[in-house]
Amino acid sequence: MGGYVGKYLEVDLARGEITELPIAAEVQRKYLGGSGLAAYLFFQRGKWAADPLGPDNDLFILTGPISGTLIPGSSRFAVAARSPLTGIWGEGSAGGDFAPSLKRCGIDGIVVVGQSPKPVMLVLDEGKVELRDASELWGLDTYETTDRLRETMAGKKRPSVLSIGQAGENLVRFACIANNKHDFIGRTGMGAVMGSKRLKAVVCRGEGTVPIADPVSYKAICKSLVQMIGQAVPAQALKEMGTDSAMDLGMMIGDIPIANWSLGEDFELSNALSGPTMSETYLKRGLACYACPIACRREVEVPDGPYKTPVGPGPEYETCCSFGTMLNQKDLAGVIKSNEWCNRYGVDSITAGCTIAWAYDCFAKGLLTLEDTGGVELKFGEVDGAIAMLHKLAKREGIGDLLAEGSRGAAKKLGRGSEALTAEIKGLEIPMHDPRGSHGLALAYMTSYRGACHKAHLVEAIEHGLASYADVGLEENYEGLSSEGKAGMVRIGEDLGVPLNSLALCEFEMWCYQFDDLIRAIRAVTGWEDFSVEEYRKTGERLWLLKRCLNNLMGVTRADDRLPAKILTPLPDGAAAGLVPDEEMMLREYYEVRGLDEAGRPLSAVLEQAGLAEVGQVLHQRI
Amino acid sequence: MAMKFPSDEWVAAFHNAINESPEYKEGGKPWTFGVTALVVNAQPDLGINEAYGMWLDLHEGVCRESHHCTAEEAQTAPFCIFGDYARWKQVIHKELEPVKGMMQGKLKLKGNLQIIVRNVKAAQALVTCATRVPTQFLDEP
Repeated sequence: MGGYVGKYLEVDLARGEITELPIAAEVQRKYLGGSGLAAYLFFQRGKWAADPLGPDNDLFILTGPISGTLIPGSSRFAVAARSPLTGIWGEGSAGGDFAPSLKRCGIDGIVVVGQSPKPVMLVLDEGKVELRDASELWGLDTYETTDRLRETMAGKKRPSVLSIGQAGENLVRFACIANNKHDFIGRTGMGAVMGSKRLKAVVCRGEGTVPIADPVSYKAICKSLVQMIGQAVPAQALKEMGTDSAMDLGMMIGDIPIANWSLGEDFELSNALSGPTMSETYLKRGLACYACPIACRREVEVPDGPYKTPVGPGPEYETCCSFGTMLNQKDLAGVIKSNEWCNRYGVDSITAGCTIAWAYDCFAKGLLTLEDTGGVELKFGEVDGAIAMLHKLAKREGIGDLLAEGSRGAAKKLGRGSEALTAEIKGLEIPMHDPRGSHGLALAYMTSYRGACHKAHLVEAIEHGLASYADVGLEENYEGLSSEGKAGMVRIGEDLGVPLNSLALCEFEMWCYQFDDLIRAIRAVTGWEDFSVEEYRKTGERLWLLKRCLNNLMGVTRADDRLPAKILTPLPDGAAAGLVPDEEMMLREYYEVRGLDEAGRPLSAVLEQAGLAEVGQVLHQRI
Repeated sequence: MAMKFPSDEWVAAFHNAINESPEYKEGGKPWTFGVTALVVNAQPDLGINEAYGMWLDLHEGVCRESHHCTAEEAQTAPFCIFGDYARWKQVIHKELEPVKGMMQGKLKLKGNLQIIVRNVKAAQALVTCATRVPTQFLDEP
């Protein structure tokens, strides 16, 4: 068998102990790895009542069976825990080079338990694993931490570094985890969990290899996948223009949020902030994650001016919106500077930008004043206020202490009617795709297990027509502005998309080939000769149901599957003008096709059929 | 009178529809990137024995010249978009947005993708013009 090493480390920070634990073969196949395996281990440990920032909230850092192979897009890994931002299941994934480095160290993952009394880092180097004092790193940002650790561990092979910045240390609820300087476990506040454990960094460097079950087929499949990706237009667009390549197309279909979700169309705005504009102005070069032929990452430089930024990681599409269109400001250099601060402090640029846009909206409506903001004017059309807020929230200074709670928490504390200006579901801010232009996506946001999320499924790609998959029950084209018949599509999009975060594979590669191709790759790596698209889909269903049950155990009910008032307010202009998703109809149909009861729990029979009878018993006995 | 698609008459009518369109006059204003050629791939069972090319010299919201061309000539244009008859029919019916069609590989582009994605409004306006041409599809009675 291949793909897995078959073991993970449990690192007890309170005791300073490190233990090696096995992952059974049947567990590997049933939950794959990454966030799926994390959900299984989380359930087994039964700590769903844990305080997200307390010692009992275990942090799972897990690779998947194809992580670290040469399958294109297989650089990814997942981090999961109970989220301090949402209070429910939290997970994120990132590319970079951490997953292959970890696999080369001879383990599939790490589970961090307890809290350390002082700052520490976990170092895996040349077969040794140890906890080291990290007091000297505490207070540094993620770039500084990465540089310092790479200097300290200089050698023939550069180590891969996971780290948190000041935001994680200060328990900002949407703090992220950086892999080196370019890749981030962004959403749901996993950096705050790491900070609560006083774990500043995880560093690894190894020389091992990932076992491959069928090396001959594997080599041929890798070659054919690279060829398919090379011919696919989405890959070409991502390579040439980054994830921000299609902003004008997004504007045309009503996908881009403007001025805290208040406006529907502004082509000048999208043109100023788009990938092609970045390519013509600040781009230095495109960069790739490990084993990726696409290379969608941007390296940029702002050579002079008020937003002067040295050569470094550039903003993705989401950040161009959250610090650009959401603030109704078109200065791309300002977005690049905001992105740099998000990276350095270690905050999710989506939640940070959305929370700041909420503050701008509050300021415009007089719900926040100069007195509240410490004299900083928050004015749509300008980015300086946002950068000032980033500094404050990362350090929890002044109004930053409020903003560090995320938009739901901040609005709850502020009151004054400011709750109506947030756009979040289950506490997670809606990502930068307006669901009023894509009703299927609206449903997927409502039903996603980590709150409003566009990466826990393939619905965005399917509904926007960025990808189409034959023979899996999907139609060829979906009308984004209609709520009709979306429940079935969303269920399929979830079942197909959820396992990607467990394998762990980049979604962009999946836009370039079919599921049959992916299955051939999984078979060659793992040796699961009878693994099929059908089993893949059933695994996706199992993982979605498991995470839903975990959320039920953490208090989620049907009442949480809802769109915010902001999104149920029609836009005045643009492709989606005057339209809002039919929330009730879609949800009703979805509950039927997914097999959820009136309380929002998966039915016992559905869980049993998915191989989750034990989970069903716990869920239905407790709630 | 409805015109067969694809045909020389259809190309001429499309040319007129573009120049009569206020949407294209506005949406196509930024387009200064040269000729766009559209090619319907050969499909002998429908009587399209050779690939049928449409040469459109578009500039600042105006179609300056158009003619039927071969696939070879079409490929000399700065932008050339190929597709099967059924795909072009979906485009004319507004069932397939052309830039999305390119992303999905249903239409093949030869030319600078960055320029295409920046000019989606021009593409959208062109499709609107195509819908205004009274069209007789070859596979319909």
